[in-house]
Amino acid sequence: MPLKRVLIANRGEIAVRIIRAAHALGIETVQVVSDADRDSMAAEIADRTVVIGPAQSRLSYLNPKLLLHAALQTQCDALHPGYGFLSERAELGTLCIEHGVTFVGPTPETIDALGDKLRARAIAEEAGVPLVPGTDSIANVERAKQAAEEIGFPVVMKASAGGGGRGMFIARTFEDLVESFDKASAEALEAFGDGTLYMERFVGNARHVEVQVLGDGTGRVIHFGERDCSTQRRYQKVVEEAPCAIMPDDVRKKLHAAAVNLLAKLNYRNAGTVEFLYDVDSQDYFFIEVNTRIQVEHPVSEQITGADLVQLQFKVAGGEAVDFDQAHVNINRHAIECRINAEDAANNFMPSPGRIRAWHPPTGAGVRIDSHCRDGYLVPPYYDSMIGKLIVTANDRDGAVERMIVALDSFQIDGITTNLPLLRHIMKHPDFKANRISTRWLEQQVLADFQN
Amino acid sequence: MASPDAKDIESLVELFNRSDWDEMHLKTDDLEIFLSNDPNAPGPSRNVAGPAAPTVTAEVRSAAQAELASATDTSASVESPIPDGLVAVRAPNLGTFYRAPKPGAPAYVEIGQAVQADTEVCLIEVMKLFTPVRAGVAGVVREIRIQDGQMVEFGQLLVVVEPAG
Repeated sequence: MPLKRVLIANRGEIAVRIIRAAHALGIETVQVVSDADRDSMAAEIADRTVVIGPAQSRLSYLNPKLLLHAALQTQCDALHPGYGFLSERAELGTLCIEHGVTFVGPTPETIDALGDKLRARAIAEEAGVPLVPGTDSIANVERAKQAAEEIGFPVVMKASAGGGGRGMFIARTFEDLVESFDKASAEALEAFGDGTLYMERFVGNARHVEVQVLGDGTGRVIHFGERDCSTQRRYQKVVEEAPCAIMPDDVRKKLHAAAVNLLAKLNYRNAGTVEFLYDVDSQDYFFIEVNTRIQVEHPVSEQITGADLVQLQFKVAGGEAVDFDQAHVNINRHAIECRINAEDAANNFMPSPGRIRAWHPPTGAGVRIDSHCRDGYLVPPYYDSMIGKLIVTANDRDGAVERMIVALDSFQIDGITTNLPLLRHIMKHPDFKANRISTRWLEQQVLADFQN
Repeated sequence: MASPDAKDIESLVELFNRSDWDEMHLKTDDLEIFLSNDPNAPGPSRNVAGPAAPTVTAEVRSAAQAELASATDTSASVESPIPDGLVAVRAPNLGTFYRAPKPGAPAYVEIGQAVQADTEVCLIEVMKLFTPVRAGVAGVVREIRIQDGQMVEFGQLLVVVEPAG
C-alpha cells in the first residue's frame, strides 16, 4: 500500500533530501526536531514539525520511544530513519512494526543479522563472497609460518584483544615472522592483557569499493553500480566517486553479482550497500560489511544511473512495484562527491560550528548540492560536522575532476571554517587526478603535506 | 542592586546565547531586559534588543499543511504570554499530557491550589512510560494550559504558577 504520511527521524541535509523525495511521491511529511533544529530547513519545508526534546541527541533523535510517540500522535503510517542515529538499530524497526508503522528500511531480523560482524561474515561466506583470508588465533611462530604459506605473503599479524596498531606487524617473508612474532605478542600482552595474535592477508594497495543495491523484500535485488570511497581519514570518507574507474570490467561484473547474490539470499528489502576491500594489485575483492541504510554518498550512484534511491526506498517499503529494473542501469558517466564539513583541517580537524554569514554554493551543468545550509544558518555544535555535499557529474573521470575543481573554487562559505581548502588540495593533487590513490593515501601522502 | 551597565548586558546576552534557555527576563528599578529565542515572543519590552533572532519560521501554510495541522490538535507554535512574575512549567520532552495519575482519578492539581517545588502537577507519557512533572517552585497554580490527553512538544507551556512570597 502506498505510504501516506512519513515521520522523518533525522536532521540536516538527509532530512531535507527525504522530505523532497516524499513530496515528489505525494507523501506527507512530519519532521521531528530537537530544540536546536527548530529553525532548520527541514523544519520549514516539512508539512508539519514537532519538537521532541532538547538539543542533545540522546534526549531527542536517539530516543526511539519519543520518535514512535510522535509518529503515532501525528498519524504517520511510516518512519524514515535516514543515516546515522537509529538507522541501523533493529529496536526502532521492531517498535515500528509493533505499532503498525512501516519502517523505511530492512526487517529487524535483517538488520540484526548484517549488523553482527561475525554473522555477516558467515552469511557472505555462505553466499560465496570472498572474505579477507585469515586465521583464528595463532599459538606460535611455527603455526604462523604454516598459516602464511596457506594465505600467501604479505600478511599482517594483529592482536585478538585490541586495535590501534599494538601487537600488529606486517610480514613479507618467513624471516619477518620469526623476527617480530614474539615481540608483537609481548606488546599485545602488555597493552591488552592478552598476547593472542591472528593473521590476515595484507592488502597494501587497497581501495574501498562498495556496491549500491536495492531489494524489494521478495528476493529481487538490483544494483546501481559501484562506488570508490578510498579517500578516507580515520575510516571517515571524504571524497566518493562512481564508478570505480580503475576496476576492469570483468572484475566489476563479478563484484556486482556477488553483492546482488548476497542480499537476494536474505530477501533483502531497502536500499543497501555491500562494502568490499579491493586489492588493486591482485584484482581480488573481499567482503567487509553490509550497510542497511541509505548512505551519505548515495548521490553519486543516482547521478550515474538516473535513479532516485530515496524514492525507491519509499516504494519498496510501501510494497509498491518498483518501476526500475537492472536493464535500466546503464552507466556511462562519472560522478564525484565531496563532503563539506564545518571543521578546520589545518588545526587537527577541530569542529567549527557557528553562524554561516554567507552561503554561496556553485551552480552549473552537472553540479548538485545536497545541503540544509543557507545565509544566516547557525551550525549547531551538538551534531555531525557535515554541512553539505557537493556532487558533480561529467562524461568521464577527468571531466568530473575538472568540474569539481571549478565548483570547489567558486564555493564560498563565510562565517565558519570549512574543509573546502583541503578538498581543493585533494582535487588538484596529481595522484588524485591520475587515480593513483588508496585507502591510506589521504592520511599518508596528503595530510602531512597539507597541514604544513 | 546597582543598575547593570553595557558590559553587564553584553555578558548577559552572551550567557543567554551559550545557554539552552528559551527566555531570560531581568528587571531592575530602571531597566528591564527580555531575551528570547522565539522571534514571536511577546516580551514585556520589545524595544530592548535581544540576541540576533534566528530566522522566523514561515507562517505561510499550504493546504496540505493546514489539513495536516488540523488532523492533529496541537497548537504549540503560538503561546500567549504569562503575566509578569509568574513562572512557567514546561514540557521536558514531547509526549502526551495527563492531569491525573490515571483515568477517573482526581487531577494532580487544580487552579488556585497551593504547591511546593516538588509537587507533581501533571504526567507526560511517552509510549506508556509516564514521567511526572513537578512545579519547580512553591506557590499557587494560576493556569493549566493544556487539555488532558493532548500531545505536547518539548518546551511547551503546561502550567503557570504564582510563586509564594
